Amino acid sequence: QHKQISGVSSGCQQGGCLTCSDYNGCLSCKPRFFMHLERIGMKQIGVCMTSCPPGFYGTRSPERNTCTKCRSECDSCFNKNFCTRCRPGFYLHLGKCQETCPEGLVRSDTQRECV
Amino acid sequence: LERPALRALIKVTLFKHELTGKPMVLEGVFVGGSAGKAEGKLLQYHPLSLCNTSEDERQDGDFITIVKLERRVPRCLPLLDKANMALEKGAQAVIFDVSDDDQAAAELRETDSLPRPVILVDAQDAEELMGLVNKNEEANVIIEIKVESKWPQYD
Amino acid sequence: GRIQERQGTVALCPSPCHCEEDGIFIMVDCSEMGLSTVPISLDPLTTYLDLSMNNISEIPPRAFHRLHLLSELRISGNQLRYISSQALQGLHNLKVLMLQNNQLERLPDDAPWDLPNLLSLRLDANLLSEVPPAAFEGVRSLRHLWLDDNSLTEIPVAALDSLPSLQAMTLALNQIKHIPDYAFKNLTALVVLHLHNNHIQSMGSRCFEGLHSLETLDLNYNNLQEFPVAIRTLSKLQELGFHNNNIKAIPERAFVANPQLQTIHFYENPIQLVGKSAFQFLPKLHTLSLNGATQIREFPDLKGTTSLEILTLTRAGLSALPLDLCEQLPRLRVLELSYNQIEDLPSFYHCSSLQELGLQHNQIRRIESSTFKQMTSLKALDLSWNIIERIHPEAFASLFSLIKLDLTENRLSSMPVGGLGGLTHLKLRGNEELFDAFSPDQFPQMRVIEMPYAYQCCVYGTCDGYKTAGQWDTEQSSTTEDLQKRTVSMYPIHGDTHYDPDLEEFQQEIEESKLQTSVHCTPTPGPFRPCDSLLG
Repeated sequence: QHKQISGVSSGCQQGGCLTCSDYNGCLSCKPRFFMHLERIGMKQIGVCMTSCPPGFYGTRSPERNTCTKCRSECDSCFNKNFCTRCRPGFYLHLGKCQETCPEGLVRSDTQRECV
Repeated sequence: LERPALRALIKVTLFKHELTGKPMVLEGVFVGGSAGKAEGKLLQYHPLSLCNTSEDERQDGDFITIVKLERRVPRCLPLLDKANMALEKGAQAVIFDVSDDDQAAAELRETDSLPRPVILVDAQDAEELMGLVNKNEEANVIIEIKVESKWPQYD
Repeated sequence: GRIQERQGTVALCPSPCHCEEDGIFIMVDCSEMGLSTVPISLDPLTTYLDLSMNNISEIPPRAFHRLHLLSELRISGNQLRYISSQALQGLHNLKVLMLQNNQLERLPDDAPWDLPNLLSLRLDANLLSEVPPAAFEGVRSLRHLWLDDNSLTEIPVAALDSLPSLQAMTLALNQIKHIPDYAFKNLTALVVLHLHNNHIQSMGSRCFEGLHSLETLDLNYNNLQEFPVAIRTLSKLQELGFHNNNIKAIPERAFVANPQLQTIHFYENPIQLVGKSAFQFLPKLHTLSLNGATQIREFPDLKGTTSLEILTLTRAGLSALPLDLCEQLPRLRVLELSYNQIEDLPSFYHCSSLQELGLQHNQIRRIESSTFKQMTSLKALDLSWNIIERIHPEAFASLFSLIKLDLTENRLSSMPVGGLGGLTHLKLRGNEELFDAFSPDQFPQMRVIEMPYAYQCCVYGTCDGYKTAGQWDTEQSSTTEDLQKRTVSMYPIHGDTHYDPDLEEFQQEIEESKLQTSVHCTPTPGPFRPCDSLLG
């Protein structure tokens, strides 16, 4: 329902980038920023963000924070196995995006959830 | 004694010039015992990519991966594993631009087990290739073994 | 700026933000615009507002009080130290609130935020050292909570009591040392709990009581001294991680109460002892890795753990393998048993799916005809660094898929080749009694072969590919001055080619000759390792 506007311009200019390269975009991010490898046509550049783009989730670790792709049926997710919002045609129940709902629940197309 | 490396011919044709344009011919060196032919569209990968198999960025159609290596980026995996991972993800061949990372050649020397072509490029050849990538100029690449033809010896 | 005229009302897009229509609603993006305050003229029909990556250090009371329809508010990447309850007044419909990457030091206690429909709350990457007991009393519908990368020293037990609908939470990258009993007793809907990268040393044996729905528990990178027995209340657990801790033993029946487990990651622990029944009755487990548990003397009893595909049990004290190993593990694909003291091998007859078998660095003496019978899927077999003297002539006969065979450093005087036609890699270095040379036709796919002696490589044409003996030195020096200074020589130059056939034909010839000379055979013959065998 919401078209996410990415608040971060790509390449080296945006605020989270620490080291940068003409060809690869950001090579490393400032502390606590997520490194996302963004595909633009044939290019793939590093971008530093405070939250990963739709379809990706962030994983923090002492060395590096990275964006990783959610499962294909998820619009957004908490980790690889737990979706927080589904793609059209899928319905969310306890972190899973499925085409049908468990017994006793019905599909809500507006929320894309089993309710 | 090691054997002298086979050189690679890298023939690049821009999609927009596909019918008329003469290909740009660049050169590189095969490593890892991987000399051979390959063809596909050129696709850049960031040096921080090819770190774990979970990044399932699937590509359709044949493609050739190009990675500009940077000394400033800590390697998440040895170069051989990165090359193998790129090939496992479907790349027909892998090109490493080693202009800024002269350790790469040494790292790939110790092996002979690469299943498809892996090529090192640097200097002018690398600059031409990365120039295309930077302008997002979609291109098709053909890789062949360069035949070192000699002048016939007149006795 | 104006968005559009609608029945007399004008939707306002606060400058310098960008706005987009979403039906009758609007989505406002003010990210990365150097703002130091929240824009004032926000339209009541705003459903999405992004203020991230600015320099906002304070949110005045009632800043968003007209935005009853706002569904998502992003204020990450600013300099906020505190957000009062009044600041978020009026956001009745807010579902997603992103406050990560600020400098929040505390959360309101006396008057908590009133966000009755909030589902996702991001508080990660702030400076919170505690969470007041009443902090979440106004967000009871919350499902997803990020508190990772803060300075918490304790589990916020009281505050979590207000979140019966919570499904996913991360408390990773904090300084939590202990998990008390009943720490999560009200979180009956919690499915995912991340606690990695803390300082957890001890846990109450009932600390996970109440987590009836938990499927994923991440305790990696802590300082646990004992096996987390508290997991026995987690009957729905599917994914468990406690790698990089300080655990020395896994007890008997360790996972008997967790039959749904699919993955258990516990590498990088000084595990010495593993109960024989520890990994029984895990029908969904597909990977089990045990490395360096030196006190394991017997192969674990894997009764009821029938879906195992990858089993790694290295650097232990195994001296034998169960005869019914393959019957117990019919789906095994990778079996890695290196660095044990295994002497005799059972028949792997029933391991029909096995693709990789690692037995290097053991005490194996003989390979019988039945040992590898019917292992039609086996691709890689590593028997290096054993004391194998004899291999039955039929031992490899049915290994149709085998491509890699490593017999380095054994005591072989002969090697059967029946069934090995598909090999691409063969290693026999260190078998000092093995004098025969194999002919290339026996291994048509060969690419890399290591032999005990250099003369055994001559059958691969690596002798005639070089110039006459007198030119070794010149060859050596011309290579080093070669133009490709940074490249490494990998292939023989065909020295005496005098003709330049038509290019296409020559390319073809290169392809075919590539096949013939692409076999990398070592040790490579040279001036001190001549082609003719010294022993006549």
